[in-house]
Amino acid sequence: MFTQLVHAHPSAKLPLPSPLYTVRPSTPPIFKHQFTPNSRTQFFFLQHHHQKLRPFIRCAANSEGVGGNKLNWEKWVPRNFLAADKVFRWISEATSSPIGQYISSPTTFLHSVDSRIKLAWLLVLVVLPARSHISVRFGLVIFLALLSMWMQPKQVWVDQLGRVTLLSGILFIMLGLGTDSAPSLVFSRTPPPSILGLPNLPTSLEGYSYVIMKFGPLQLTRKGLSTASTSACLTFTIFQSASLCLTSTTPEQLAFALQWFIHPLKHLGLPVAEIILTLLLSLRFITLVFDEVRNVALGIVSRRINWQLLTTMETVDVFFTYIRRIFRNIFSHSEQISQAMIARGFRGDCNSHKLFLSAGTSSAMANILSLLCLVGLIGAATWSKYLLS
Amino acid sequence: MNQSSLAAVSTFKLPVLPIPHSHPSRNCGNIDNLAIECHNMCYSITTKQGRLKPILKDCSLSIPSGQLWMLLGPNGSGKSTLLKIFAGLLNPNEGFLRVKKPRSFVFQNPDHQVVMPTVKDDVAFGLSKFNLTYDEIRSRVARALDAVGMYDYLQRPVQTLSGGQKQRVAIAGALAEACKVLLLDELTTFLDEADQVGVIKAVKNTLASSEEITALWVTHRLEELEYADGAVYMEEGKVIMHGDASSIMDFIEARQAAYIKQIYS
Ligand SMILES: Nc1ncnc2c1ncn2[C@@H]1O[C@H](COP(=O)(O)OP(=O)(O)OP(=O)(O)O)[C@@H](O)[C@H]1O
Ligand SMILES: [Mg+2]
Repeated sequence: MFTQLVHAHPSAKLPLPSPLYTVRPSTPPIFKHQFTPNSRTQFFFLQHHHQKLRPFIRCAANSEGVGGNKLNWEKWVPRNFLAADKVFRWISEATSSPIGQYISSPTTFLHSVDSRIKLAWLLVLVVLPARSHISVRFGLVIFLALLSMWMQPKQVWVDQLGRVTLLSGILFIMLGLGTDSAPSLVFSRTPPPSILGLPNLPTSLEGYSYVIMKFGPLQLTRKGLSTASTSACLTFTIFQSASLCLTSTTPEQLAFALQWFIHPLKHLGLPVAEIILTLLLSLRFITLVFDEVRNVALGIVSRRINWQLLTTMETVDVFFTYIRRIFRNIFSHSEQISQAMIARGFRGDCNSHKLFLSAGTSSAMANILSLLCLVGLIGAATWSKYLLS
Repeated sequence: MNQSSLAAVSTFKLPVLPIPHSHPSRNCGNIDNLAIECHNMCYSITTKQGRLKPILKDCSLSIPSGQLWMLLGPNGSGKSTLLKIFAGLLNPNEGFLRVKKPRSFVFQNPDHQVVMPTVKDDVAFGLSKFNLTYDEIRSRVARALDAVGMYDYLQRPVQTLSGGQKQRVAIAGALAEACKVLLLDELTTFLDEADQVGVIKAVKNTLASSEEITALWVTHRLEELEYADGAVYMEEGKVIMHGDASSIMDFIEARQAAYIKQIYS
């Protein structure tokens, strides 16, 4: 019926259909340049595209000297330099693989460790790299990498390790070379010994040198190495151990462990119930945000926008529309969720709204083993400071 | 299918049918046995331009206790709004309204309903207000999930479920609360044919377990009407018809036939 109407419409015979007679797609378009799949109306649309899209450029060509100069530069800006289509595709793919989500199917050793012990491990792994010898730091990194290879499914650890290694590798190189390279000109406040009339300081007999390596103007010093290894290892251990913990612990167990640890602080006025409920809600909400980002990106990809026809500004405009839309959807989601919580009997008082969390099942052997390892690690890290330095 | 034809029907002039206020149930006249009752209820919202936009106009209906009723109507006819008013999430502007308590409400979109990260926690979320022991909560959660066929998914993170599975978790949440009035907004949109019947049967079983429980079910599928004790048909914010399921079915089919005749004539 729809297409028949179009066909019979008098505007079809006119050479230039006026915009008033444009055929509207059944759903209102988000973007003015979206592709419509209706093959009969396609011709119309393309014509309109050209008319609507290029008014500036045609103007510029017709009246070269008058006001066209302003827009001439637009021709030189590489159109589509963002490869917008690829970006949206990439977004929709990247958010579709779960990041740090609980994996239930292959039950591993880590699954059978009590969540409180895992939380303690996390805490120790955050503190240790900063306060131990460099060999312990690298040992931790290797240990975590091996552990994730052993515990996680191949596809997950390849993804995760790749991301984290890249991040900490970049950090390592930048900090290692950047810490001590440039400022050598700046902090020569103390005059060289020859000016003070002192004999030259004896050089170290054991071949100690502050500078380890030189790359042209850049140099790797001991201080640089220490800073770089600390921050790179810290980044690696935080991300990797968090990923290991999240993939092997349900949100409920995580909340239970946190509740167990912060419960004593209740007497100091800490709103424990609120914190736990917020944690659980945000764990649910994060996935909703990912879903939203992916769905809107997929929506844009599937509309098959003809990016070649868009100017740079219009491409940017699409991106802003994208971001606006995500935010609007997320806000409406949170509004609906709060309505649902009210409908399900939540009255805003977390203390009266009891959540029953349990530690889940854990095996005693695994718990004892992991606790022993934890104590051993702390001991080793403490001793390494005295033994190795 | 149905919904598009229904929506299209509404634009044509059709013989005006009398609104049957005499509902067919045996409880006719007994006020105490009505689970939901409203008279001349109106609801309007204020648009951004500051104008008043009526959404529900002069709705009157009554639903007896212990029955499963269906609410039908084209898109945008105000079904969800009516249900939200019954659930107490919105306040009517005028009219009389009485709904038995406690009542629970399942949203059209399960993503809005499911608030906790795992299936088990979510079903237990609504139970927290009842002061139950941990074991009681566990058994209720297990029973509710079993009723919708999701018992094997107890530990699953919600985001790994499909749309239909999420919807079943949402339904389980409502069933677990064991409320007197169940308000269910288009539960079967995401479900396939077999699941659809399964969910209706689960709701029917809950109704059978107690005399007191009443359910109002929004749907677009005419074939679900055969499970209903009664039905309400709405259009453009008005209750057009209100009565037993078979007469509503006949009414809607007559409308569809009239519409099809109109197309081919
Ligand atoms: N917050 C709101 N702001 C503006 N309009 C609204 C709002 N909520 C509902 N409406 C309007 O009220 C009318 C009824 O909406 P409602 O969601 O109740 O329809 P429905 O019968 O549930 O439709 P569907 O079958 O699609 O679920 C619609 O025309 C809708 O546009
Ligand atoms: Mg609705």
